[in-house]
Amino acid sequence: MSDLLAARAQMGTSLAFHIIFSALGVGLPLLLCIAEGLALWRKDPDWMALTRRWTKGFAILFAVGAVSGTVISFELGLLWPTYIKYSGSIIGLPFALEGFAFFTEAIFLGLYLYGWNRLSPRAHWLCSFPIWISGLASAWFIVSANSWMNTPAGFQIVHGKITGINPFQAILNPSTPYQTTHMILACYVATGFSVAAIYATAILRGKRDGYHRKGLMLAMAMGAIVIPLQIISGDANARFLASAQPVKFAALEGIFHTQAGPPLSIGGLADPKTGKVYYAIEIPHGASLLVNGDLNSVIKGLDSVPPGDRPNPLPVHSSFDGMVASAFFALFIGLVFWLLYFSHKRVVPENRLLLRGVVLAGPLSFLAIELGWMVTELGRQPWVIYAMLRTKDAVTPAPGLNITFFIFVGIYIILSITLVVLLLRLARQPLPKLEWPVFEASSGEESEEEVGIR
Amino acid sequence: MTLAYAVLALLWLALIAYATLGGADFGGGVWDFLAFGPQAERQRRLVGQAMGPVWEANHVWLIFLIVGLFTAFPIVFSILSIALYIPFLIALIGIVLRGAAFAFRAHAAHAVAISKVWGRVFSTASVVTPFMLGTAAAAVASGQIRVQGSQVKTDLLTGWTTPFALVIGAMALSLCATLAAVYLTVEAEALKDTQLVEAFRLRAMIAGAVTAVLGALGLILSPSQAPLLWQGMLKHAIPVVLATMLVGLCTAASLFLRRYRLARISIVIDTGFLLGAWGLSQLPYLVPPDITVYNAASPPITLLAFLISTAVGMVILLPSLWLLFRVFKGRNPVPRVQGQSSINSQNVSAPRR
Repeated sequence: MSDLLAARAQMGTSLAFHIIFSALGVGLPLLLCIAEGLALWRKDPDWMALTRRWTKGFAILFAVGAVSGTVISFELGLLWPTYIKYSGSIIGLPFALEGFAFFTEAIFLGLYLYGWNRLSPRAHWLCSFPIWISGLASAWFIVSANSWMNTPAGFQIVHGKITGINPFQAILNPSTPYQTTHMILACYVATGFSVAAIYATAILRGKRDGYHRKGLMLAMAMGAIVIPLQIISGDANARFLASAQPVKFAALEGIFHTQAGPPLSIGGLADPKTGKVYYAIEIPHGASLLVNGDLNSVIKGLDSVPPGDRPNPLPVHSSFDGMVASAFFALFIGLVFWLLYFSHKRVVPENRLLLRGVVLAGPLSFLAIELGWMVTELGRQPWVIYAMLRTKDAVTPAPGLNITFFIFVGIYIILSITLVVLLLRLARQPLPKLEWPVFEASSGEESEEEVGIR
Repeated sequence: MTLAYAVLALLWLALIAYATLGGADFGGGVWDFLAFGPQAERQRRLVGQAMGPVWEANHVWLIFLIVGLFTAFPIVFSILSIALYIPFLIALIGIVLRGAAFAFRAHAAHAVAISKVWGRVFSTASVVTPFMLGTAAAAVASGQIRVQGSQVKTDLLTGWTTPFALVIGAMALSLCATLAAVYLTVEAEALKDTQLVEAFRLRAMIAGAVTAVLGALGLILSPSQAPLLWQGMLKHAIPVVLATMLVGLCTAASLFLRRYRLARISIVIDTGFLLGAWGLSQLPYLVPPDITVYNAASPPITLLAFLISTAVGMVILLPSLWLLFRVFKGRNPVPRVQGQSSINSQNVSAPRR
């Protein structure tokens, strides 16, 4: 592997790993906040038991998210020192602001995790608000920095020197509203469907009590409310890309030649060598119609830029299709679930096929996040800062990047295995005795010893 | 110019905060590493209990430092990332493993094997990381990182492998251990565990003495190994260096007199003076001898934006931090609800069904 490829592989792996925890870090606190609120309002032990269980899982997930995020902030410098040199004074600010949001999140998480017995129930619940709000803010700040890499703004280049810097313009670059919305919604979709998947699995295994049903309902509510918004946001993103980053758009749609009224290629392999998309379902004029509402508008193809400035459309197009397919699958599952619920006297549906669909929608919505990132990152290549700095010019001169890549892959594998083992153990732990008030009776681990449902 | 120094002062305060808070968490890991004898389990539990609610917030000071450097002095971040690639990489691996291991161990509940293995990882990573960060700091201070234009001219081993750097690395490690031991005397006192209080008092005094010896050794080595630092110190940091020594003696005295809360304040001030002395000695260089504060700083608008957003951020942050430390480190850190509630009272040996 060349050093450039190794550096890209390491950065990509680190981001792919970290993004799972960041998405849960945005989504789970909102679920916690709602569940604990319901518990206090209804004096319902089920909701409290769910809150407690999720809190324990979140404690581990947040820690891994915090350290894997630290890796990213170091790697920006260790792997891409030239990128730092160019971008720091322009786009460092949202990273700093994200630092504050993360700080707030960590502080209140400490209070939330360890404060069950030191805070009043209401104060404890209130601690969940800063967690989900700052999680949301973190996502916004970080994605605004990434947006800037796609549509750099807030500076001028005069005689090869950067001048006229305006950090606020940089944060509010043209991509920011589109990308931040899309990522934040993705966090809620993925959290909703993956938590739902856990309870669907349990119900499939015959645990049909109130605890599991409530867990499924709340998570499905989150997923199903957000997924239609996410699809609308995705459409807006694609239209925006067609004008702001036409090359990326061409890559994700697999459009090689600038033409009037190009077809929409669904699926298939976009082969950069032959300039054709193989095995795709083609809808004539589809791409043109989706972008401009016009059957014959001209859409720029990859050939609108020199070959050296083109991304490889093969992974970009396939990732894009995978993301869209996952989203529509989740939408379908969400719709069927709530249709069945409301048409059957508000009973949680237990159709086995549907529940299996929910189980599948969980991992698929995380897959959609990963694929969406592949689209935006691979689609920007060969640039790290679009039309300003090439990825190959940003990489560190340090040798042996292959070795560090494998070290980090090894670390991620070990962390993942441990995490999965611990979360599975947590899920299998017998439930605490479900009686109100849960507060006074239990405090973390001890109550879990009481024999519960297994 | 003034703006650049204002931002630098802010980042230096963050460095002090990271050293006194995050450093102590590494120090906790050091004592976990060194725990032995019949008390070992209780010591480890105390460390875990003390760190649990706060370590993640403490860790964010490091993130703040990195993003602050990135924003306000991007070229310094870039240069250090190239010149100190190896120590940063090792420290980074240490940081990842330390944090993950702590969480895994704390939440492994009844998974004895997992808890044991990750406990080992936690303590080992806690020893390695501050040492590497110390050598990296020494490499910067020594003035051996050379830059031409904006190209780093030194190889991967320069600066951080010298005797001076190794001494400072060891000193960083023992300082973390001292901080942790002093804090743990207060924690143990709150639990009314006299045995533990005495154990950590002794450890604090030994680690403090080791730190002082290593500090003196570093001072002796610096005229030859870090001449710019030495001259800078003679010029404008002598009072702070003296204050560091004096407050160090105060810490020792308050430990000796078993005034643990006083010792805690004293060691924090001492660490602040120590890092302050380093900072003052280095001025006007950020990476001596080629990069000064002035020629590394971002344009004024970026610095101003950073200062303003930090001010706004602090309005949220400081009360939150105050709340966190009041709830968990206040004068009466006794659970509101009585009973078996301390987080580490989980019985590791309880059988699984």
